Amino acid sequence: MYYRRKMSDWVLDLLIYVLLCVLVIATLYPFMNALAISLNEAADTTRGGITIFPRKFTIENYRTIAQNQALYRGFIVSALRTVIGTFAGVLITGMMAYALSKKSLKGRNIYMTLCVVTMYFSGGLIPYFLLLRSINLLNSFWVYILPNLVNVWNMIIMRTYFKSLPEALEESARIDGASTFKVFFRIILPTSAPIIATIALFCGVFQWNSWFDAAVFVTRRELKPVQSILNEIINSSRFAEEIAKAGPGATRLGRMNVINPRSITMATMIAVIVPIILVYPFIQKYFAKGLMIGSIKD
Amino acid sequence: MEGSIGARRARKPFQQHLRELWRQRDLQVMIFPWMLLVIVFAYIPLYGLIIAFQDYRLGDAIGFSRWAGLENFRMFFNSPDFWPIMRNTFAISFLKMLFAFPAPIILALMLNEVRGIKFKRSVQTISYLPYFISWVVVAGLTLDFLKPDGSINSLLMSLNIIDSPIAFMNEAKYFWGVIVVTDIWKGIGWNAIIYIAAIASINPELYQAADIDGAGRMRKVWHITMSGIKPTVVILLILTTGSIIQSSFDQVMLLTNNLQNTLVYERSEILDTHILRVGMRNMRYSYATAAGLFRSFVSVALLLSANFTAKKLSDESLF
Repeated sequence: MYYRRKMSDWVLDLLIYVLLCVLVIATLYPFMNALAISLNEAADTTRGGITIFPRKFTIENYRTIAQNQALYRGFIVSALRTVIGTFAGVLITGMMAYALSKKSLKGRNIYMTLCVVTMYFSGGLIPYFLLLRSINLLNSFWVYILPNLVNVWNMIIMRTYFKSLPEALEESARIDGASTFKVFFRIILPTSAPIIATIALFCGVFQWNSWFDAAVFVTRRELKPVQSILNEIINSSRFAEEIAKAGPGATRLGRMNVINPRSITMATMIAVIVPIILVYPFIQKYFAKGLMIGSIKD
Repeated sequence: MEGSIGARRARKPFQQHLRELWRQRDLQVMIFPWMLLVIVFAYIPLYGLIIAFQDYRLGDAIGFSRWAGLENFRMFFNSPDFWPIMRNTFAISFLKMLFAFPAPIILALMLNEVRGIKFKRSVQTISYLPYFISWVVVAGLTLDFLKPDGSINSLLMSLNIIDSPIAFMNEAKYFWGVIVVTDIWKGIGWNAIIYIAAIASINPELYQAADIDGAGRMRKVWHITMSGIKPTVVILLILTTGSIIQSSFDQVMLLTNNLQNTLVYERSEILDTHILRVGMRNMRYSYATAAGLFRSFVSVALLLSANFTAKKLSDESLF
């Protein structure tokens, strides 16, 4: 194994390392910058020039956003939709995937076809909206949950996993007379922890990050999830800054309450990201490499 | 094979079918909630597409409005918005295919050349973080970075690339670039995973054999790594082509402050945002449904033609 490294190899390696470092910096910098701004005194931030360290450290911005009732409620709504959506989603997806993994299931091909068709054809926004209106899901918390319980892609991934489980696993339980449900809950689910964790993470992250359904199907303020609140803050901060630049009155406004929309926006953003960062180690752990690869062609 | 089984089944008496169904009632019950949700939330809207051919008015039962034939489609194709929207939709899609599709492949190839396991794993772990961050946050960060006094302008000025700050989000000409770059930034690490897995499954003996033959590094990358991941690339190329025109909605919405930023309108209005604008905001339901149906039609046509081309050129295809 004495492959002689040529000059061109060193150059190539150097280039690759440099490019990868640029990627890492480009990925992390925006978050670190947001964090630094959120921890910097609002009045000082307007001077500009904050990079990855706060110049005048303070947690005042976080105190300010903690008083925002709408944001507080948004966190509760988001937490609820994440927990309920994930739990119910995994359960319903798991049952469907398990049943479809059984060759003996009658109507298996019909069920599967009905599912796959929805991956390529959809009614689109307006018919969907009219449906939600007709079943009274507009302005309801359940609009966040019910439609999102079915994700064909996740179901296929789970089914592929269940198919790979050995028959012997459930045979002995069956001989003892256990029902299908008992086998599913007592044997299949406990042995499928990695796949369940993976799908739960996908569902959870999806629910936490969703904003569109709340923007279009929900107008009641108290039902807005945290992403919607953040979106409003971002949009209004754009206005606030334009006003601030427009006239001298704005500087007075700025001096009056030391609130800088930019600091508030960044602090809110960080608060919204934190739950994702907290589950990130689990994403790492359970993330089976090439999980999708087997199921793409199926 | 399928046919012969079907034929044998057909001869079974109806009662026997029922008996079998009853025997596996537990399994069928497990199917039920899922199928109910699929029928309600996927198939009823498919039926709702019927209003694209009707003149739907508020309060009508869906499917029972006055028939309008292809009038909604004609209106959409003849509207002054149609060509700019098509141009924007396809330009953004094309630029994404050109730059955002190969980016993760290049990242995977680069990571494959790295020998330090720790460095490699760290880069990978960090690079797919943005995938898990919402578009609301990513767009918010982007808008902050692109302000005249934002980080991008400071960087470009300190590197002497520009003399005076650019108001990126106030000028339409930068919009497509912003869309493509943020798309790459958010997806590159995540999308690379599948290629990294494909590379990992290549037989290492191939590389050893190439070493003995005295093949250089680039030759190995091209002839072994690239040809090893080709099936994966082709499948993802087909899938991406099929969904590409629907992939920019969140970005466009959030980067234009929920369509409030009209300065970039001429470059930002795409099919998806147009449907939202005329459908939800102007409540022209039938017209917007027709536009939506057209969008699905284009998507499926793209998917099928990508599949067909791939089959012809490389023997790889989705179906």
